[in-house]
Amino acid sequence: MWPAKRHLLAFCSCLLMSQLVVVPIKADAVSDFYKGRQVRLLIGYSAGGGYDTYARLLARHLGKHIPGNPTIVPQNMPGAGSLTLANFIYNVAPKDGSVIGTFARGMAMEPLLSGMGTRFNANEFSWIGSLNNEVSVCASWYESNVKTMEDLNNYELIVGGTGSGADTDTFPIVMGNLITPNIKLISGYPGGNDVLLAMERGEVDGRCGWSWSTVVSRSSDWLAEGRINILVQLALEKHPDLPHIPLITEFAENDDELMALELIFARQVMGRPYLAPPGIPIDRLTALRNAFEATTNDPEFIADATRIQLELNPVSGEEIDILISRIYDASENAVSLASKAIVKSDGM
Amino acid sequence: MEAGALELAVNALSVMLEPSRLILLGAGVLVGLTIGVIPGLGGIVGIALLIPFTFEMDAYSAFAFLIGIGAVTTTSDTVPAVLFGVPGTTGSAATILDGHPLAKTGHAGRAFGAAYSASLLGGLAGAFLLAVSIPALRPVILYLGSPELLAICVFGLSMVAVLSGKAALRGMVAAGIGLMIAMVGSDPQTGTMRWTFDTFYLWDGLPLVPVTLGLFALPELADLAIGKKSIGRVHSVNTRSGQFQGIRNTLQYWWLVLRCSWIGAALGAVPGMGSAVIDWLAYGHALKTEKNTEKFGNGDIRGVIASESSNNAKEGGALVPTLAFGVPGSASMAILLGAFTMHGLVPGPGMLTDNLDVTYSIVWSLALANVFGAGLCLLLSNQLAKVASIRISVLLPLVLGIIFFGALQGSRQWGDLNVLFAFGLLGWIMKHLGWPRPPLILGFVLGDIVERYLFISVNRYEWTWLSRPLVILFFTLAIVGLIGPLLRNLKASFKSDQTKSFLPKFSMSAFFTLIVILFLTIYVLLASQWNFEARIVPLLVGCTALMCAILSLINQVFFQQSGNKTSNINENTSQSNIDDVSVGFTKHMMVEGCIFFGNCGLFILLARVTGMLLAVFLFVLLYMCFWGKEGLSRAALFSLGVTGFSWLLFDRVLSIPWPQNFLGSIVPVLGPFLK
Repeated sequence: MWPAKRHLLAFCSCLLMSQLVVVPIKADAVSDFYKGRQVRLLIGYSAGGGYDTYARLLARHLGKHIPGNPTIVPQNMPGAGSLTLANFIYNVAPKDGSVIGTFARGMAMEPLLSGMGTRFNANEFSWIGSLNNEVSVCASWYESNVKTMEDLNNYELIVGGTGSGADTDTFPIVMGNLITPNIKLISGYPGGNDVLLAMERGEVDGRCGWSWSTVVSRSSDWLAEGRINILVQLALEKHPDLPHIPLITEFAENDDELMALELIFARQVMGRPYLAPPGIPIDRLTALRNAFEATTNDPEFIADATRIQLELNPVSGEEIDILISRIYDASENAVSLASKAIVKSDGM
Repeated sequence: MEAGALELAVNALSVMLEPSRLILLGAGVLVGLTIGVIPGLGGIVGIALLIPFTFEMDAYSAFAFLIGIGAVTTTSDTVPAVLFGVPGTTGSAATILDGHPLAKTGHAGRAFGAAYSASLLGGLAGAFLLAVSIPALRPVILYLGSPELLAICVFGLSMVAVLSGKAALRGMVAAGIGLMIAMVGSDPQTGTMRWTFDTFYLWDGLPLVPVTLGLFALPELADLAIGKKSIGRVHSVNTRSGQFQGIRNTLQYWWLVLRCSWIGAALGAVPGMGSAVIDWLAYGHALKTEKNTEKFGNGDIRGVIASESSNNAKEGGALVPTLAFGVPGSASMAILLGAFTMHGLVPGPGMLTDNLDVTYSIVWSLALANVFGAGLCLLLSNQLAKVASIRISVLLPLVLGIIFFGALQGSRQWGDLNVLFAFGLLGWIMKHLGWPRPPLILGFVLGDIVERYLFISVNRYEWTWLSRPLVILFFTLAIVGLIGPLLRNLKASFKSDQTKSFLPKFSMSAFFTLIVILFLTIYVLLASQWNFEARIVPLLVGCTALMCAILSLINQVFFQQSGNKTSNINENTSQSNIDDVSVGFTKHMMVEGCIFFGNCGLFILLARVTGMLLAVFLFVLLYMCFWGKEGLSRAALFSLGVTGFSWLLFDRVLSIPWPQNFLGSIVPVLGPFLK
């Protein structure tokens, strides 16, 4: 039972530390806290998916960059599309820096857009950073009449989706509501690859909400052979690979629409978000943020990510802070436009 | 081309036979076997956990290791299924029906022999089918659109009729309940929260693991507790010779093995058709096509063979869409798919041309893993079979403790234990009142996928998809398979007793039916408030189930002579007796059953207060001492053993996040110790 004893020791030292808040050497306080400790990295999904793969990769490397070199233990805590975890981290998890987590990229905007079941204030999370600034695309199969965004004025595009709330559904719904009526969503496919198979056999014409990094890693032959057309980029900034493909925000007709689109696609910036509960000691948050940044620059980490084909476009915690406060400052018009835009309207 | 492929296949074999790879394959098999034995843990857990260890390996070794894990969980899951009636993974529930009765009559060895040899042959058949169909894979899969997949799933659902035996109406109701339970949670079309009652737990729907463990494992354990006898009453049976008899049985029924393997492999390729239904479909097929099936459900070795050969063949089938299109045929394949990418392999046509050598090495891994797994199990089963003769006062608390941990793997929330409890009670009542349970699990697993493909088909093709040839074929098969037995049974049950008195009789069974009707009514009423896309399928299913339930009630109250007795004799003499129906409830059973489920309920409360580890320790200790009348020191030893084992496995190795307990949250100092 000695690990338990270790917990006790760590706990006592923690108690001791809280008595000595004004210890002059801060770095040591952080390092003392993390030394010999296990830091839990909670994943809002079950094992095997994208969020899980990213998190487990991070867990292998993050520990050595945190003062005191704690062990990072990834744990899956699935439930309600990771909402359970978001609520858990905000309300229940210890606010001492011993728990960090990752959940759905759109979660931070949920209180604004639907608010269903959210019991947190996204501004208050201690954002550590995002491993990837995702760029998703809309693509059509080569046999479809729709080869560019302009073609959508004349022809219908049937896209496949994996179910309500998924990017494959939300993104085409937003496009249908704000940009073109000619996009039709057939939803219910068990997974993204099922949509691609349906596209190959002609059941649907395309897929919206397809991460560009996945297109490159899994479907490079389709790209090379011209079997798919990339119509539009769904993100706030263009991917360096795709300078000539338009960005979704270019299709906004006024400021409110632009803000609404930004509000919805902000999730792409925090594509693989990492955060700690609100109100953790500031020195530990700084240490975690520094460690996160150091990890993303760590050649071993990058080599591992490259080997398993995970795209890395790190975003810092500070940047996420700024983005979220900007979003929460959006005008009421923009918010209501956005929350209507993500709901499937009749006849789609 | 042919010669080239053959050469590649042979080369791949020689690559696989290199000692280092064989060792890795063996290690994978050991992990897989261990995971398979523990209820609640399936291949998914093992593969997900060990993927990081394959980063440094070459592609061949990595797949040898991972497939070793995935391929054999359905071999060793037979062990708890036969011994305790507890499915080791969701794929061995059908094995319980005949395997467990065999163990009860002292034939555990024979059941093991048959199960492992059937697993082996099934696994080999699956691998073989994968190998020979490689050239034809892509066109076939491209031909199967959503309407075809829907038709196949509906055909699978129609097996409900066969699996219900004479209780066709109740089977329909059970399937209806299963379908409705499958629709709990966020609706894929509109995001409507269906039947979630404002709890987060139900948002993602009910998890399969606690439902299966509840429906099939708890009722068996409840009856063990009531009977208070050790499982294998005949102690002197020579398990080794029984084992050989089992192997001979498998060879004797080779044609059944082959058919069930094909079913397993073919259905394994359909996304969404998991191992949780494939064993039942094979079992249903055996019931339908074999002669002299009256002993099915009471220890017919063919039941074990059918179930076991199909669920090992499944992996081969599930690899088909995974390799050829990157569409995972099962949950563990989805994770394996991740491993492909990590090793630079892109699923798709390339796997059948440029990377054909890797594909063949996967086929060989699958075949070799099955040989290793079955061989090892056969070697060990002699010892394992002896477990059945351990005193029930020791065994029951231990198995219960493990099941609680297993159920919690569903979604790692306290709700999992509630689900286990609720379905345990439901399963126990169903078992004793002659309600078939397999249809419920069939409906539960297929419900989601049927609704998804139905919406895709209708939204995409309106109704023209109904004229597609394969759709017509499978729908016709389904209708014939469903309506035929239903009408026959209805006629028989309404007619047989018409000459008898028309005095209404209200038995316990009728009372239960009434509760079911009430439940269905409430659910239908709740569903009627949702928007159209969210409510249409639940209403359709709910109303059909309601109608069947009402018919069943009328049948029970007016057309059956004297409640339980007659109805049960009917069930027992039916030629396809699926559920081992005992005669209703005696007073003794009611009392003991209440004690058993009461204890389980108390455990769940205790766990919420003190956390799982302490609760299981106390539960096993107290249960052994007071109920089992074991000595304190022995009880302490066992309860410490099971708690320590679970702590090591779940906390240290699997590192699961334990749900919050009350004591830990009010006294944070205790938090780290209460898990």
